[in-house]
Amino acid sequence: MQAILFLLMVLAIYAIAYIFYGRELLQNRVVKADPNRPTPAVENFDGIDYVPANKYVLFGHHFASIAGAGPIVGPALALAWGWFLPLLWVLFGNIFIGAVHDYTSMMASVRQGGLSIMSISENLMGRRARYIFLLYVWAALILVLAAFLSVASATFAAEPTAATLAILFMPLSLLFGIMVYKFGVDIRLATVIALVLLLIGLVYSFSVPVHLTYEGWVVVLTLYSLIAAALPVWYLLQPRDYLNAYVLWIFVGLALLAPLFLPFMEITGPAITSFVAKGAVVGAPRGTPAAGLDIAYFWPMVPLTIACGALSGFHSVVASGTSSKQLANELDALFVGYGSMLAEGAVASLAVILPAALFWDFSAAAQKAGISLETLKAAGIDVEKTKNILAFGAVDRFYNAYALAQATAWSKLFGLDFVPLFKGFKTFAAWALTAFVLTTLDTANRLARFAWVEMMDWVRPMNRDAYRIITNRFLASLIPILIAAVMAYPTIEGIGRAYLVIWPAFAGTNQLLAALALLTATLWVYAVLKVRGPVSLLMLIPAAFLWLTVTLALGLWVLFILPNVPLLYQIGAGSLVVLSLGLDILLIYLFVRGLLRARAI
Amino acid sequence: MNQRELVGAALTLLALLLIGYELFVVGLLNGSVGTKGQVTLDAVLISAGFLLILLGPWLWLGEVPVAVKRFVEAKTGRRT
Repeated sequence: MQAILFLLMVLAIYAIAYIFYGRELLQNRVVKADPNRPTPAVENFDGIDYVPANKYVLFGHHFASIAGAGPIVGPALALAWGWFLPLLWVLFGNIFIGAVHDYTSMMASVRQGGLSIMSISENLMGRRARYIFLLYVWAALILVLAAFLSVASATFAAEPTAATLAILFMPLSLLFGIMVYKFGVDIRLATVIALVLLLIGLVYSFSVPVHLTYEGWVVVLTLYSLIAAALPVWYLLQPRDYLNAYVLWIFVGLALLAPLFLPFMEITGPAITSFVAKGAVVGAPRGTPAAGLDIAYFWPMVPLTIACGALSGFHSVVASGTSSKQLANELDALFVGYGSMLAEGAVASLAVILPAALFWDFSAAAQKAGISLETLKAAGIDVEKTKNILAFGAVDRFYNAYALAQATAWSKLFGLDFVPLFKGFKTFAAWALTAFVLTTLDTANRLARFAWVEMMDWVRPMNRDAYRIITNRFLASLIPILIAAVMAYPTIEGIGRAYLVIWPAFAGTNQLLAALALLTATLWVYAVLKVRGPVSLLMLIPAAFLWLTVTLALGLWVLFILPNVPLLYQIGAGSLVVLSLGLDILLIYLFVRGLLRARAI
Repeated sequence: MNQRELVGAALTLLALLLIGYELFVVGLLNGSVGTKGQVTLDAVLISAGFLLILLGPWLWLGEVPVAVKRFVEAKTGRRT
C-alpha cells in the first residue's frame, strides 16, 4: 500500500464517521442537542470548576487532557502484531466505541447538571452502583496518576530540554490567560503573542537543558499535580490546554503533510506479524519467564496496550468531569467530545502507525526513499545492528519513525540536509509527547478529587464540619497523588522505571472503565432518552463486546503477568486491578438489572 | 492591595526572579541548569520557581474574570 492511499483512507473514514455517526445519528437522533438549553457551566457557575469556555479553548483542554502518552505509546507497543491489526483496532475502537463513549458521557453529564458518569449511574442502576463506580474510578485514577508521574519524570530526566520547555510553558500559559481574561486582550492577538513567545522558548530550550534526577522530578511533579489540580480552571487549565492544542495541531499537521510529500512511497512493514506476541508486550517484566512466552493474544489483550488511541475510560471521567462543567452550548459537545476522540485516533494512526509502517524495514525504506545507509547511520540508525522498527523500545519506535518520515519529506521538498532535520524532528516528537503528559497529571488529580467529593457525600448529612474537612480541595487532591507517588518513586531492580509495571495495569483498568462508562451511557440513552431499537443496539453491542474483551484480558493479566511483578506492585497495582475486576462483576450485574427494569417501564 | 494580593505579588516576583536567574543567567553561563544525575541547588531553585509561579498570580489576581461573570449573568439573568 502507498502512503497517500493510507492517508486518504483514514481521513475519509474519520470524515464519514464525524458527519454520519456523530452529527446525524448521535447529536441529532439520539441526544437531540439543543443550543438554547442552559448548560451546567452557566446554571451552576462557581468560578472554580463550573466556568463556560469558548469551544476552541474547551477543545484544547479536552484534547490535551485525553491525549496523554496513550495514543503514542500504545500503538507503538502494539506494532509487535504488525501495522494492520493496531490500525484496525484504532479505527474500530475510535468510531464505534471511543468517540461514542466520550460524546454520550459528556452529554449525559450536561443533562444531569454536570454530574460525573459515576453519579449518573445512581439513577439508572441504584445507589450501590454509584458508590462502587466512584470507588472504581478513584482507584483507576490513582493508577493513571502513578503511570503518568513515572512517564513524565522519566522523560524529563532523559530529555532535559523537554523539562526546560515545560518550565517556560507555565508562565506563558498564565500570561495568556491573564491577557485574555483579566485585561480583555483579543484572543487572536493573545494567541499570536503566546505562540511567538512559545517558539522563542522552544528554540531557547534546545541550548539550556534543565537536569534533575528521576526521583527529583517525581517529587516536583507530585507537588505540581497537587497545586495545579486545586487552582481555578480559568486560571491555568483553560489557557494552558488551549495553547497545548496548537502544539498538537502542528504535530498532527506535520504528520498529515509528510505522506503528501511522499505520496507513492510503499509501506515496508508486514500487515500482520502474528496474532500472538510475547508476554513483554503486555507488561511481563524483562527476564521473567512470562516475558518470553507467547501469551499476548491480539484478542483479547489488545486493550492492555492500545489505550487512549482507540478508546479510554479516563475520557468519560474527563468528559463528565472537567469538560461538561465548561461547555457553554450543547452543540459544542460534538466538536469537543466526538471530535477530540477522532483527532486522538488520527494521532495514533497517522503520527505513529503510518510512519512506522513506511519506515519499518530500514534498508528497504532507505532504498525507496532515496536515502543512503551512511546517512541513516549518521542519524543514529545503524541497519547492521537495528534492522527494523521493532528493534527499538515503544517510545523510541515513535520518535524514530516520526522523525524519519518528516526528515525524508522536508529534505526532499527543500533539498535540506537529512541528518539535522532528523535530529530536530526527533526532539520535537519528544516535546509533543511530554506536553500532554503534564496536562493529564493535573486533570487526573482534579478528577480524582471530584470522584472523592462525590463518594464522600454520605458524610454531609451526618457531620457538616467533617465533610468540609475531608472534601477540602487541597486534601482531596493530596490523597491520590501521594499514593501514586509512592508507586512511581522507586526504580525497580532488573526492570527499570515504575511505569513499565504500572502501564498495563493502568491500561487494563482504564479500558474496563470505558466498558462500564459506555454501558452506563447506553442505559442512559435507553432509559432516560427512551431511544429504542437498532439505534440503541449500535451502542449496546460494542459496549458488551468491549466489556467481555477487557474482562478477559485483565483476567489473563492477573493469571500470567501479576505473579511475575515485584511485591510492591503486586500489592499496589495488582490489588487495584483485582479490586477493579471484583467491582466490575458487581457493576455488570447491576447494569443488567437496570436494563431489565428500564425495559419493563 | 490586601494581604492575599500582597503575598501573591511577592510570590510572583520571587518565582519570576528564580526562573529568570536560573534559565537566563545560570543557563547561559553554564549551558545547562543543574547537573545530569544530581540534585543541585540550581535545579531546586528553578523547580521552586516553577511551582511558585502557579500560586503567585492566582493569589495576586485570582478573582473570577469579569468577562466570564458577564457571560454567565447574561445567560442566567441572575447576579453571580
